[in-house]
Amino acid sequence: MDTQFAQRRRRDLIVALCLAVIAALAPLFVKDVYVQNIMVLTLMYAALSQSWNILSGYCGQISLGHALYFGLGAYTTALLFTKFGVLPWFGMLAGGAISAVIAMALGYLCFRLRGHYFVIATIVIAEIALLLFQNWDWAGAALGIDIPMRGDSWLKFQFARSKLPYLYFALTLACIAWLVTWWLEDSKWGYWWRAVKDNPDAAESLGVVVFNSKMGAAAVSAFLVAIGGSFYAQFVSYIDPESVMGFQFSLLMALPAVLGGIGTLWGPALGAVILIPLTELTRSYVGGSGRGVDLIVYGALIVAISLALPKGLVSVFSWRRGAAR
Amino acid sequence: MGLLYGLIAAGLALIFGLMDVVNFAHGEFLMIAMYATFFLFAFFAIDPLLAAPLVAAALFVFGAVVYLLIVRFAMRAKANAGMVQIFSTFGLAIVMRGLAQFFFTPDYRSVTNSWVGGKTISIAGIYLPEPQLIGALVAIVAFVALYFFINRTDFGRALEATREDAGAVALVGIDKNRVFALGWGLGAALVGLAGAIMAIFFYVYPDVGASFALIAYVTVALGGFGSVFGAFAAGILVGLVEATTALILPPSLKSVGIYAVYLLVVFIRPRGLFGSM
Amino acid sequence: MTISRRNVLLGASAAALVPMMARAQTSEVVIGVLYPFSGASAQMGVDAQKAYETALDIINKKYDFDLPLAKDEGLPGLGGAKIRLVYADHQGDPQKGRAEAERLITQEKVCAIVGTYQSAVAVTVSQTCERYQIPFLSADNSSPSLHTRGLKFFFRAAPHDEMFSKGMFDFFDAMKKKGTKIDTLALFHEDTIFGTDSANAQTKLAKERGYKIVADIKYRANSPSLSAEVQQLKAANADVLMPSSYTTDGILLIKTMSELGYKPSAIVAQAAGFSEKALYDAVGDKLNGVITRGSFSLDLAAKRPMVGKINDMFKEKSGKDLNDNTSREFMALIVIADAINRAKSTDGEKIREALTKTDIPAEQTIMPWKRVKFDETGQNNDADPVLLQYIGGKFVTVFPAQAAVAEAVWPMK
Repeated sequence: MDTQFAQRRRRDLIVALCLAVIAALAPLFVKDVYVQNIMVLTLMYAALSQSWNILSGYCGQISLGHALYFGLGAYTTALLFTKFGVLPWFGMLAGGAISAVIAMALGYLCFRLRGHYFVIATIVIAEIALLLFQNWDWAGAALGIDIPMRGDSWLKFQFARSKLPYLYFALTLACIAWLVTWWLEDSKWGYWWRAVKDNPDAAESLGVVVFNSKMGAAAVSAFLVAIGGSFYAQFVSYIDPESVMGFQFSLLMALPAVLGGIGTLWGPALGAVILIPLTELTRSYVGGSGRGVDLIVYGALIVAISLALPKGLVSVFSWRRGAAR
Repeated sequence: MGLLYGLIAAGLALIFGLMDVVNFAHGEFLMIAMYATFFLFAFFAIDPLLAAPLVAAALFVFGAVVYLLIVRFAMRAKANAGMVQIFSTFGLAIVMRGLAQFFFTPDYRSVTNSWVGGKTISIAGIYLPEPQLIGALVAIVAFVALYFFINRTDFGRALEATREDAGAVALVGIDKNRVFALGWGLGAALVGLAGAIMAIFFYVYPDVGASFALIAYVTVALGGFGSVFGAFAAGILVGLVEATTALILPPSLKSVGIYAVYLLVVFIRPRGLFGSM
Repeated sequence: MTISRRNVLLGASAAALVPMMARAQTSEVVIGVLYPFSGASAQMGVDAQKAYETALDIINKKYDFDLPLAKDEGLPGLGGAKIRLVYADHQGDPQKGRAEAERLITQEKVCAIVGTYQSAVAVTVSQTCERYQIPFLSADNSSPSLHTRGLKFFFRAAPHDEMFSKGMFDFFDAMKKKGTKIDTLALFHEDTIFGTDSANAQTKLAKERGYKIVADIKYRANSPSLSAEVQQLKAANADVLMPSSYTTDGILLIKTMSELGYKPSAIVAQAAGFSEKALYDAVGDKLNGVITRGSFSLDLAAKRPMVGKINDMFKEKSGKDLNDNTSREFMALIVIADAINRAKSTDGEKIREALTKTDIPAEQTIMPWKRVKFDETGQNNDADPVLLQYIGGKFVTVFPAQAAVAEAVWPMK
């Protein structure tokens, strides 16, 4: 059993490495900017969803308020850069740190809540933050922040036309998020969480340690999502509260993991690879009609997948079935 | 306004709380109800007040059908039942918006004149708009009826029992699906009532549900899952909090007050005001 | 062999990603049109589409209008090439707007983009166009911050909110001279980029010209209820109520005002919702005498008969009269097509140059503007706004004097 487990983990690592290499080489063959753009978004959502999965999938604390951390990351980077000239690389870390601290503070208050009460609390907290930013004049309020473009630069992490730097950054982030998850699966935290999920009574006996490990998960998850937010701010070079902190972001982060397989190592990535291109392509090629056909297709697909495959798309791969527990 | 939130929330409370199923398409149920009211008015000149029972009946059928076609399977999910419910109903919400946009076009519509629309009763300088007044009355009646229905009738007890232990009720010959389908129908019918009254003073367009959905969820949770009375009380509280916050803070922040109250309540009482679960 | 199966899957999804082949362009000029076609503002996109189709029809076919390009088929400067429009949906999201603009430029090979209704989206779209050296003609974004960002490829033929607001205050000054009492104002605006910009402009102007703002109410767009807000407006009881709202909140505002018995002596609105037919269908009976800024007036049809005819063409497609938004969208396509025609090229830089030399006299537009001529920021400063009053079920131009056909009714009934 143990060797089987170790074998599986080794294989996971090799597969991930292969996929990362394929993704890294793909731009050599795909030159089209639009397709590259979809790839960047796919990788970004894979990273976000993987980070979300750490708290919501593995720990079972379903958060629909992760847009808060995404927005905090985006805003910290953009504000530090436009107001104080701090390079986005430092802004990114600052945003991550702020988000992690806030996540722990909120976790301290909210982890006592169960089920829907917890979910609604996370939605509501993100919504409060959205409203505050919408009314915070110093941070641009509804006008948002326009990050000035001064030519291509790695230092300022902005590139006028090339998507490649963004693509490689998103890829790196996705890999980091994946590795963190991979590592957590085998850590003692991972064991506790599985124990708690399978048997709530075990939670009582493990008590404090589990609570602390959940705080850790919240911090890691928020940190990574905030980095994603910083990246998004640089990528789009304009942010406003609605577009980085809106409720739809919380859902978009959760969807790939849910469709792919919540609480699994491969679910978020798989979900993102299928969902994001589909969303983009339906909007681009069916969306111009003004009749909502893209919405119907998109929504019906979500209903179908979530009903047909409650464990997510990973459960289709029979060889992974053992892992999709 | 609070009572109307309460009425919208009551339907949700029934579905959400009593059956322990999340319905993320609740706002879209409201949207459908408002469209139904609008079309009855536009084509058959039926006043929204008369239309209300018709719309409620239509929504009853709709809710039951949604249960039988989708939710039944979502509840049967072996793994991650919570997430499956959230996302299958969320997907349904998107489909409903898309369909509304397809068939009704995204144009804004509203009921231009009705018996009570725009009329106001003024008592000692306090203006009470008639539509809201009637909404409040309907809400109170609906709540009282619902309360008795759930606590005093066989069906209500069956509903409660089915949620508690579906296996055991099957032994005494209660069909779980039938009970829940009726429950969903009832929940949707309440939304239908709310929608018909809302249509008197609100505009209708495919995304209208989104404005109300979050407030409805918060109201239900604030009152506590499983408690219809809780939803009623929370609805009134939400209305009051909203009005007070708008006086203290800039009105664009008025929802913050509602959210803050919710957080405050659940931090102190993790099961909401009157929750049993 | 599990890995190979995975590879097959990857291959399949990669195949799905292969872009549709960009259509070869021989005798056609492609222009991108970016609007919200789904989501809360979808109706705006649908209406805009009708306006662009009307303009397209006039450009591509022969019509006896005194508009640029109307009398020819297609663009004579490019050997009679026809214009083709590619519509794209940005759903009101700046990121999607950027992505769609990029797609239009790189895949559909558009030589210019017009759009976008929401100002937030215009920010990213104009940035993207700048990066690809493709002109962006803002048809209907009214945020003044757009043209002050030093973009070379940004152009706007229509007025922005500061110009619109200036028109309103000019009107107040004129009314005051005639002895009407206007001292206090109440601002009512949504918490979006549009509402904030509009309120900022109005606050600034009020200070400069000595009007007192007794209530400045910012509300959440698409609010479920506005009772608390209206109660504050009522308590302030200003001489003029100045809303900056879209259709949804506009309807709710008027309904709530009548329910709470608030009747200001005048409403002067920053268009948006207050120039939409849906709003007047819903609450028109309560709006007799409301004044809204606009960039279009059907009264022009008396002086320029083609305005009426074009309006009929549009009405046939959409069932509505041309309004503030759709008229600007119509003009935007005419202006950009005129520039492309003179550039005799689909090269972005050449079109930009032609745009900077644009000079279309008032008679050759359907607008009450003095002319279309861009300054170095890409803004047309000769686009004079008008004020329209809704009386007896239709709009009458009441200001400025040279365009007015009637005196303003004040206070409103």
